Amino acid sequence: MSELLYERALIWIILLPLFGAILNGLFGRFANKDIVSALGVGSVAASFGLALICFAHLMTGMGASEQGTQIAVTAYQWFHISLPTVGGVHEVAIDVRFLMDALSGLMTLVVTGVGLVIHIYSLGYMKDDPGYARFFAYLNLFLASMLILVLGSNLPVMFVGWEGVGLCSYLLIGFWYQTPEFAAAGKKAFIANRIGDFGVLIGMFILVSAVGSFEFADINHAAPALTQPFFLGSWQLGTLATAAALFLFLGCTGKSAQIPLYVWLPDAMAGPTPVSALIHAATMVTAGVYLTCRLSPVFLESPTAMAVIAVIGSMTALVAASIAVAQNEMKKILAYSTVSQLGFMFAAVGVGAFSAGFFHVFTHAFFKACLFLAAGSVMHAVGSHSDADIFKLGGLRKIMPRTHAAFLLASLSIAGVPLFAGFFSKDEILLGAAELAYAPEPFSANWVGWFVLIVLGIAATLTAFYMFRMYFLAFWGDYRSAEGGPEAHDSDGHHAYDPNPHESPGSMTWPLLILGSGALVVGWLGLPHEWGLPNWWAGWMSHSIASVPVVEAAEGAEAGISLPFVTSMVFGLTAVTVGIGAAFKLYFNRSDDRFRDAMPRGLYQLMADKWRVDELYQRVLLRPLAALAAFVGWIDQTFVDMLLTRIPSQLALLSGFVATRIQNGRVYTYGAVMSVGLALVTWYFVVPRPLLDAETEGATASFEAAAGMGYAYRWDFDSDGTWDAPLQEHGESFGADRSPSHEYGPEALKSHVLLIAQEDGDDARFVLTDEPQPLPESLLPAGWMEDPSVGATPPSAFFDGERVILRRNSAVVATTGALVTEELIPLSMGERLLLGRLDTNRTSIRVGGLVEATVEVENSFGNRARQSVELVVNVPPERPEADAQASLTTTRDEVLR
Amino acid sequence: MNPSLLQSDHLLSLLLAVPALGAFVVLFMPRQWTRALRLTSVGFMLAEFGLSFSLLSADYSDGGYHFVEKVSWIETWGISYHLGVDGISLWLVFLTTLLTPIALFVSWTSIKTKVKEYALAFLMLELAMLGAFVSLDLFLFYVFWELMLVPMYFIIGVWGGAQRVYAAVKFFIYTMVGSLLMLVAILYLVGAYHQVAGHYSFDLLELRHLIIPRGTQIWLFLAFILAFAIKVPMFPFHTWLPDAHTQAPTGGSVILAAVMLKLGIYGFLRFAMPLFPLASQLIGPTIALFGIIGIIYGAWAAWVQKDAKKLVAYSSVSHMGFIALGLFAMTEHGVNGALLQMLNHGVSTGALFILVGVIYERRHTRLFSEFGGLAKVMPWYALFFVIVALSSIGLPGTNGFVGEFMILVGTFTSNAEVGFGPWGRVFTLFAATGVIFAAVYMLHAVLKIFWGPITHKANEALADLSFREVAALLPLMGLIFWIGLYPATFLDRSEDAVNHFVQDFTAKYDASKLDDSLRLWGVPPAAAEAVADNPAPGDAPSVVADAAGGAR
Repeated sequence: MSELLYERALIWIILLPLFGAILNGLFGRFANKDIVSALGVGSVAASFGLALICFAHLMTGMGASEQGTQIAVTAYQWFHISLPTVGGVHEVAIDVRFLMDALSGLMTLVVTGVGLVIHIYSLGYMKDDPGYARFFAYLNLFLASMLILVLGSNLPVMFVGWEGVGLCSYLLIGFWYQTPEFAAAGKKAFIANRIGDFGVLIGMFILVSAVGSFEFADINHAAPALTQPFFLGSWQLGTLATAAALFLFLGCTGKSAQIPLYVWLPDAMAGPTPVSALIHAATMVTAGVYLTCRLSPVFLESPTAMAVIAVIGSMTALVAASIAVAQNEMKKILAYSTVSQLGFMFAAVGVGAFSAGFFHVFTHAFFKACLFLAAGSVMHAVGSHSDADIFKLGGLRKIMPRTHAAFLLASLSIAGVPLFAGFFSKDEILLGAAELAYAPEPFSANWVGWFVLIVLGIAATLTAFYMFRMYFLAFWGDYRSAEGGPEAHDSDGHHAYDPNPHESPGSMTWPLLILGSGALVVGWLGLPHEWGLPNWWAGWMSHSIASVPVVEAAEGAEAGISLPFVTSMVFGLTAVTVGIGAAFKLYFNRSDDRFRDAMPRGLYQLMADKWRVDELYQRVLLRPLAALAAFVGWIDQTFVDMLLTRIPSQLALLSGFVATRIQNGRVYTYGAVMSVGLALVTWYFVVPRPLLDAETEGATASFEAAAGMGYAYRWDFDSDGTWDAPLQEHGESFGADRSPSHEYGPEALKSHVLLIAQEDGDDARFVLTDEPQPLPESLLPAGWMEDPSVGATPPSAFFDGERVILRRNSAVVATTGALVTEELIPLSMGERLLLGRLDTNRTSIRVGGLVEATVEVENSFGNRARQSVELVVNVPPERPEADAQASLTTTRDEVLR
Repeated sequence: MNPSLLQSDHLLSLLLAVPALGAFVVLFMPRQWTRALRLTSVGFMLAEFGLSFSLLSADYSDGGYHFVEKVSWIETWGISYHLGVDGISLWLVFLTTLLTPIALFVSWTSIKTKVKEYALAFLMLELAMLGAFVSLDLFLFYVFWELMLVPMYFIIGVWGGAQRVYAAVKFFIYTMVGSLLMLVAILYLVGAYHQVAGHYSFDLLELRHLIIPRGTQIWLFLAFILAFAIKVPMFPFHTWLPDAHTQAPTGGSVILAAVMLKLGIYGFLRFAMPLFPLASQLIGPTIALFGIIGIIYGAWAAWVQKDAKKLVAYSSVSHMGFIALGLFAMTEHGVNGALLQMLNHGVSTGALFILVGVIYERRHTRLFSEFGGLAKVMPWYALFFVIVALSSIGLPGTNGFVGEFMILVGTFTSNAEVGFGPWGRVFTLFAATGVIFAAVYMLHAVLKIFWGPITHKANEALADLSFREVAALLPLMGLIFWIGLYPATFLDRSEDAVNHFVQDFTAKYDASKLDDSLRLWGVPPAAAEAVADNPAPGDAPSVVADAAGGAR
């Protein structure tokens, strides 16, 4: 086959389930059930077939080049953005482009393969549901979205799938939408995911603005450059890599149910069981791990982000496992188990063992899907729709032999019993942590390694324990809900479960057995290197995933038993022995909860109540937010509307009201209005108002005072206490001149001022003394001088008796184009200087003289009023030594032109 | 239609003439002929929609105006009948010609009284909206801008809900107050132009070469902005919107949300920003901040509404905040995203109002508490509603995503002096939370209407979408996916005009700033004028308004 055909096939892998979804969604309701089934399952089967062909092609070419083979196809350009760069704009295309390499290829196989098995299982499981066609439409749509997520070769296309799977998860959790709790669980899932999506968006923006491309390949290629600082406003928040990695990880905590956003996943089990198996165990929830692996070089650039991921991942593993041991319903236990296993995967990623984390994604898909489907098979058998309480079951080993076999295989696998898939992948994770823990000097994050190792060790013990607790209680002993059994009737006297359960039909049990055998064998793809066995997995992954130097170093070593390897084996084997042993001792062939009885009551209750995290979120987050929203809704209707609508309208009404009241035809109203008016007029005439206005031109100031009835004026231009116009001869004398001019001489000046032009067009005044004073930073344009706080001399100015001396800052300063080299810049009155760097804001500075003038007005009633005004004038400089500045002045003139 | 007429130079006049002619025909039809009246008016509107396709014959890659017509109208005052369409107004014209018939079509059965007047009002409205989108003369624009108010006032006041008069008057006064200030600013601008050029002109293409001192720019800009911000509406001038929407009939709400609100943003883009770049750069970040407040505030307020139509109205406030943000980011993709999001909002919110109208027509209530479980009885309705709701919250693959994404990237990368400077990233961080809250209120609405058991007996026998309703919604559904999956059709024609706008803005901003610093220096305006000649890339030399003459 030519390359083109593989590219076509890649697109059809996605399109087939998409068409299945559209056809079943629009017309399935009217169609025969067989057609719906054929369309739903057939499209996935075909897609799986194409995926196998493509992957086989990849495998044959693997190793041919350093990059490994890829199948890539660009469908069309979706849209593009243009980033400003130094030399203009750089166009960033966002192509609808798909890429299959080892990483996405394996994920595609899991999605379509496990998806196919689960589709087949659903044929039996959903047989009698009225929403049969709708179910398959959603399930196919999910597969299409998941495949877009996995195969998308850039962030936006991946994001289409990322949100698409969230939508399908929402629709499928709320599949039985008539139960309000199920619909609410769907909504909760969607919103938790959206919080994560917010993180993905921001992470994407950081990466594109730093790298200039959305393509994974370009971002990974440019990752070493991401160690530059990331600025938010003027705050520096770590490096670009840390910021991007942490925002993307926020997205992962939403999609992959990690602390703090994991709370949606347990509720998501409200959906039909095949959905839980496919979406909420095998595929969608591992998307976060996939994303971190895809962008592993970026994550590797940030030790901070890696440590955060490792700690959150291992804590999630532990917390969720501790909740799982205290649950009694099969799907609930499995839900928390999923959260816990996802924690294992992130812990792996966090210690740099990306390949191990993704290996666990792969094996987990088999054993967890198998466990969910087995739980579904049990529910189907006992006739329960919502969940199955393990204390009401028992003895199913004999009743449902195939389901039992599959469940046992998967349980052994997840518990980590040697030779089963889960053993190998979990051991790889522990090995990664141990290698970090024992890492030599340059890898200083050893504590992270130890932390992960110990926390995961405990979590693994709990895992083995809760799995076998469930296994022994459900499958051993006697069936407790049988007619006459201890749990046959609930408190209302109804049959809780079918008293005569039976094995599920073949369409359900065969998928179980397929997945169960998968849970045994798929681990053999990644046999430990240390035993001298071939590790195909690591070989494939090395083409797609970056690895930390420490892991690389370990992998490069000769096969043999190393200290980290022994440590991880000890942790892993102890965990599985202790966990299964304890479960056997407490629950084998028993029906009472001996673990609960052995635990302190309060602690057990807390674990059973899921540590009350949901309640905590309700109280500290959701309720306050809802209250805030309600407040906003209320304030909008009352306050904002009142301010902008009601108050103006009331004012308009009021003025109309007042006007009509005055015009009421009654004499005394008119009398009252008249006297008020008269009083105002009188006041206007009796009190004189100078309303002094002044303008300056050079050394001359022209004044103008208000004209008024019988007004006379006298002026004191320099406010020295003697009236200058008319000249004070004896006592008081007023003249008629209301707009005099005055030319100031140097003696009239109160002080010298620096006038600094401001952004708003006005001048700021800075009064000078003969001591040098620093110029306040706030008056000067930003960026024209060096920051005094870092030790640069602050600029200052003073009046030396003849001239104003400006002492500039140590920064390079230009006056409209020419550099100033002198440190002290003498300035004469009226001279302007344009200060600032060439490339930034410049401002004009000049020197003026400050004078104060006063006017007094007398009116015909003999009342007087006085008003003063401060003016800046430009008194011609008396400079005998003018030649000293000549050169400087000419430079400035040149520049000005 | 005669093909030579389509290629004529008077295409835009023809576009304005069709609804006018339709109104004329409807005016002389007997009022009892309701069916004929409906058919005639929708027929004229569909012809108009068809006619607008001939606008695509021009090549918009030069970023300039096409189909330009200029006839002097009042010569002494420099007022002319000046029309033109570029990549920015092109899609808004399409939005108008597409949604007006749809809006009238969905009101087919719900409007039973005064059908003739209703049809007349819609034809008038279409004329006024189109006129406002293609005017290049400020006087002409103002005439159309005000003309829009009249039919909408009657649509709300006559065919509206219980409190229709209150809502109509509130709508009218609110918008009127804003536009009066704009009128004053326009007159001032024309006066300043006269000072410099020696003659009056209301022509946008001439006025935009005026370089105005900073202080004056700020005042004029604020006057323009008030008119447009009320129309958008931006927080806190939005309070007329929920009232107008809840009281307006479905068709009125559709036009109001889908087209009329766009005129506010269009006003920023076409008039306020190019005329006053210095002021808009100075005040732009503040407006963007109000946009962000609007995004979050609108979403929260939407969440707690009990009435479906109010929820959609507040969601509009939230969406328009996004658009304003993208616009003032002044990055090419930010502005382009804002423009695309205008279309998206028109399509999605228009469809949402139609959908809310569907259940209102059946139950005469829009309260969430009256519904629940409708997915069972109205599966097609549920499908359409969920798709539109998802497009409204910006799910990738639908139109909303592309617009929102471009706006957010545009804001994030808006780090230059023209734009948000250091604030771009902080703005993005806050604005992007709108993505979360949008999901909260929309899914809340979906949950309340569709999921859960049917609790009201009246809902058990509700009819699913009729053929007419599906026909009205299908074009909008098509656009949701078309824009979502292949936005190039739309972006390719608008981006050159947008790039032109951004470059023009930046150049004129630099010129204004230089002029301002020279003025600060005391350089005589003659020198400033010489300087200003170079940066302006336009076709006529720049003229500088004298500070003394213009401002004081």
